[in-house]
Amino acid sequence: MKRTFLLFLVGIFMGTLSGLTGQAIAASSIVVVVDAPPRTMHPNGSDADCNLSVMANFFDGLLQRKGPEGKLVPALAVRYEHPDLLTWKFYLRKGVKFHNGNPFTAEDVKFSFERLSNPEVSEFINTGKSIASIDIIDDYTVVIKTKEPTQWFANNLHQIYMTDKESTEARDPGEVGVKPIGTGAYKFVEWVKGSYLKMAANEDYWEGAPPIKNVDLRAITESSTRFAALVSGQADLVSGVPVELYKKVIQNPKLEVITRAARRAIFLALGNKPGSPTADIRVRKAMYMAINEDEIIEKIMRGHAAPAAQIVDPATIGYNPDIKRLAYNPEMAKKLLKEAGYEKGFDITLAGPNDRYVQDEKIAEAVVKYLAKVGIKANLDVKPKSIFFPEVTGGKLDFYLIGWFDGAFDMARTYFKLIHTRDAERGFGGWNGTKFSDVTMDLLLESTAGIVDQGKRLQVIQDLNKMAMVDKIAWIPLHYQQDMYAIQKGKGIKFQPRADRWIIFKEISKE
Amino acid sequence: MTKRFFRSKIIYDFFHDPSALVGSFILSVFILAAVLAPWIAPQDPYDLEKVSLEHFLKPPIWKEGGEPPFLLGTDDQGRGILSTVLYGCRTSLIVGFGVVLIAGTFGITMGLLSGYYGGHLDAVIMRLADTFFSFSTTLMAFLLLGLFKERGVLVVIIAICIADWVKYARTMRGSVLEVKEEAYILAAKATGARDLRLLLRHLLPNAMPPIFVVMAVDLAVVIMLEATLSFLGVGVPLTEPSLGMMIAIGKDYIYAGMWWLVVFPGAALVLLVVGINLFADWLREELNPKIEKER
Amino acid sequence: MGTYILRRLIQGAFVLLAVSFICFIIFRYVGDPVLSLAGRYATIQEREMVREAFGLDKPFYVQYTRFIFNAAQGNFGKSYVSRIPALGLILERFPATAELATTAIFIAFVLGVGLGVLVSVKPYALRNRFIMAGSLGGISTPTFLMGIVLIMIFAVYLGILPPFGRGDTVKIGFWRTGFLTWSGISHLILPAFTLGMYQLAVLLRLTRAGMREVLTEEYIKTAWSKGLPPRKVIFKHALRNVLIPVVTMTGLQFGELIAFSIVTETIFQWPGMGNLLLTSIYESDQPVIVTYIMLAALIILSLNIIVDILYAFLNPKIRYD
Repeated sequence: MKRTFLLFLVGIFMGTLSGLTGQAIAASSIVVVVDAPPRTMHPNGSDADCNLSVMANFFDGLLQRKGPEGKLVPALAVRYEHPDLLTWKFYLRKGVKFHNGNPFTAEDVKFSFERLSNPEVSEFINTGKSIASIDIIDDYTVVIKTKEPTQWFANNLHQIYMTDKESTEARDPGEVGVKPIGTGAYKFVEWVKGSYLKMAANEDYWEGAPPIKNVDLRAITESSTRFAALVSGQADLVSGVPVELYKKVIQNPKLEVITRAARRAIFLALGNKPGSPTADIRVRKAMYMAINEDEIIEKIMRGHAAPAAQIVDPATIGYNPDIKRLAYNPEMAKKLLKEAGYEKGFDITLAGPNDRYVQDEKIAEAVVKYLAKVGIKANLDVKPKSIFFPEVTGGKLDFYLIGWFDGAFDMARTYFKLIHTRDAERGFGGWNGTKFSDVTMDLLLESTAGIVDQGKRLQVIQDLNKMAMVDKIAWIPLHYQQDMYAIQKGKGIKFQPRADRWIIFKEISKE
Repeated sequence: MTKRFFRSKIIYDFFHDPSALVGSFILSVFILAAVLAPWIAPQDPYDLEKVSLEHFLKPPIWKEGGEPPFLLGTDDQGRGILSTVLYGCRTSLIVGFGVVLIAGTFGITMGLLSGYYGGHLDAVIMRLADTFFSFSTTLMAFLLLGLFKERGVLVVIIAICIADWVKYARTMRGSVLEVKEEAYILAAKATGARDLRLLLRHLLPNAMPPIFVVMAVDLAVVIMLEATLSFLGVGVPLTEPSLGMMIAIGKDYIYAGMWWLVVFPGAALVLLVVGINLFADWLREELNPKIEKER
Repeated sequence: MGTYILRRLIQGAFVLLAVSFICFIIFRYVGDPVLSLAGRYATIQEREMVREAFGLDKPFYVQYTRFIFNAAQGNFGKSYVSRIPALGLILERFPATAELATTAIFIAFVLGVGLGVLVSVKPYALRNRFIMAGSLGGISTPTFLMGIVLIMIFAVYLGILPPFGRGDTVKIGFWRTGFLTWSGISHLILPAFTLGMYQLAVLLRLTRAGMREVLTEEYIKTAWSKGLPPRKVIFKHALRNVLIPVVTMTGLQFGELIAFSIVTETIFQWPGMGNLLLTSIYESDQPVIVTYIMLAALIILSLNIIVDILYAFLNPKIRYD
């Protein structure tokens, strides 16, 4: 009895000691808290940003996007050529080693791209399947041909990660999914799912060893708990400060808040089936004007959003600064409805997720209220994204709330998925949840695939944007989310938020 | 004759016991408030035309910034807390009584048949009951609602009933087994009474007392369960009022100092359940022959 | 006795099969995992390819038999979200939930029975009336509300206890424990009390009721009149008889405990099995959900059998044939 008690005491002592020494060693280390946990260590096993953000630290792609604006620059490929519409030639960087010492060569590039098509380990099936062939010219030169002209191919490469062929094939896929081996700035140390992910600086990193030596990444999904971690000093950097607690964070002298406009736009999609009320442009205009977006931004987003007039962000190819929002005008809305013959209003169901975007549920509730005030009876149907998204891709909805931004910074790519008439054969309209269809827009969009001159292509895409937002009101845009981060002031952390909300630790430095 | 006896002694005891009186008083107040909610609530919090964002997050009127008619403040969509609590109690009571009625009827029937006929029927019913019971009402309801993703007050009631009927069946069966061999039952049988008549007119009324206790306790348990399910997001849909859902919304605002979003619905919930439990405690004592009555 | 145990085990196996069957049927009608599996930009053909790769295009009975066959070998499929084996994902979190649950039961049992005995000796003393009133509040407060209130008081206003996570843990073999660090223990306090509070109140009332009954029995009165010391009378004679229904009640409440641990783990972000189940339900991660349900069924059934056997030992009047 006494002996077990003694053992118990020794245990506590050792545990505390190891905890304390841990703290001492980690002088140049930070604790980062994010709002969504990484789900897998397969480099392209998830296309969710929370996962890609973490992978960007363990792995590199052929190209990378340097923060804060996300400019596309060389990474594992020092340069590339695009000789014709289908061909991309990459010249690889020499002397790069994986975390296990293996050299990085063209074999690894071919392996990594081919792995994208395997659904057991990848969610980038589309990218994988779009490739027709991969030819290894020599150890440091690779030629990739796509099946169809894919203008944004290179723009996407910052999130296609290169993994080591030899060790990935030698290991069990279950182990590959929990222990990543890449060429990135950080090496994997430990992952306790649901608790933390630890990584250590790669001193041999080809770009130079990163300044922060140890990172402890934790995910806290509850916003109030995240706030508690911040206030109690347990977190050095927090991504995703809850909107409703912003004031409290600002008032705290130990904390500093950093905000930046997010890339993601939140908007409403409306069907245009012939015969339905929303097929009439006046009804669409009325619904647009009935919504008091300024009040939504002020009250629900607590000022942390910027009004949007289109669904792509300024950094995307196709953004058109000439497009302006329709002003809030419920009287005009009622007038338009009367003109269209819907003085008494009509019924419609607004669907949306309740666990995906900042305040998504509450925004939808507010929209329903605004519509009610002009006579449109909207039924609210919010549900978890795991049920909502399949309804969107299944084309089953009339009216829904959604958010989007394009990882490849190309509006055409987005439009092909979101607004082109649904066409299973050619792979268009996969996310056109209302079966919206406009042949003029379709034709204009398809024409952009064959334009070689980038300047001309930009012009056409911007015109398409204007047509969609102003003439057709293809969507009712609401706002761009704002990303909010908070850091502990005393630690001397220098952090600049990226446009894509990723946190790349090699970009963080200490004074 | 037995009915008259119950009526006189029980009623007398009821009016002389403080916990019985307090408990049922609380319960009656809540029931009244819930029934009259559409008339006494300052606003209908689910009528979209009346609710407006401009009133959001106002504190109760005795604090700075509060404004009538929002006596207890508002939530982040501009709904008055007092109104939402009143309507939320409605939902709680509807689900509570709904489950007790449906699970109770089904369970009592199963228990009657099981206890009276015995044999294979008894074995089958009891085995089934054991399986459902071991999963516990909470886990069953949670899994069913979580998997099916259907939402609605009726759906919640049914999901809870699926495992809840067992306690009624078991109690009824036990009660029936005790009463089955009593003299007056055998006498009725001897005079050629048919089974159904026997079951309904003689067995059932005399086997009911323990069931009443189970009903009272169950009402409390089910109301708490509905709140828990709604809190987790698998209970009633967003468009229906629920105390549990209000607390779920409110918990994010605690750190910001807006305690009224949690405290008022929480207090209402606890008070309602305490009232029911007080009454149930008294009922249990009253109908239990074993404890010596204390003065 | 032996045949009884065998019979129960066989019945248990049937129940497990039935449970898995029901789960499978339910999943036919719930969500389509292929969408998230194939990624945002996949075309409809690509999704069909993914469907085939995962065997989701095969008829129901083929999928089911394959599942049972694999399950018997310990392979419960891979999570749709993380592509890591489901069983491993859940078992990895078992220590966290187990430590939380056992601490909660320990608190509930020790304090519940202890206070119950204390209160039963002098039921009308002022202090005891307070305790009884507290226990009434305890069974009237749902677990989630208790958790939020405790967080409000101890973490927000007083700021003395941490409101989330497990703190620093130490890994011994495959078991990750929080008992060996002060940080681990302090993180355990609020969640364990939240989870155990309801049980505590139930056990308190049960003990008190039982003690009241027993204390009026003849043999107790005999013991009093014999001049035995009060402690001996209460603990050796009265309590032993009360423990039987108390222990059985604790055993029977296990299903409830598992259910409420889900709530507690969510509120405190405790990295246990319940937390994983909730996120899996939101994400329609079927392999994980099915595995969890079967594991829960297994634990509950085994515990029921163990409790029944214990009951037979404790109470000589029961005989199983």
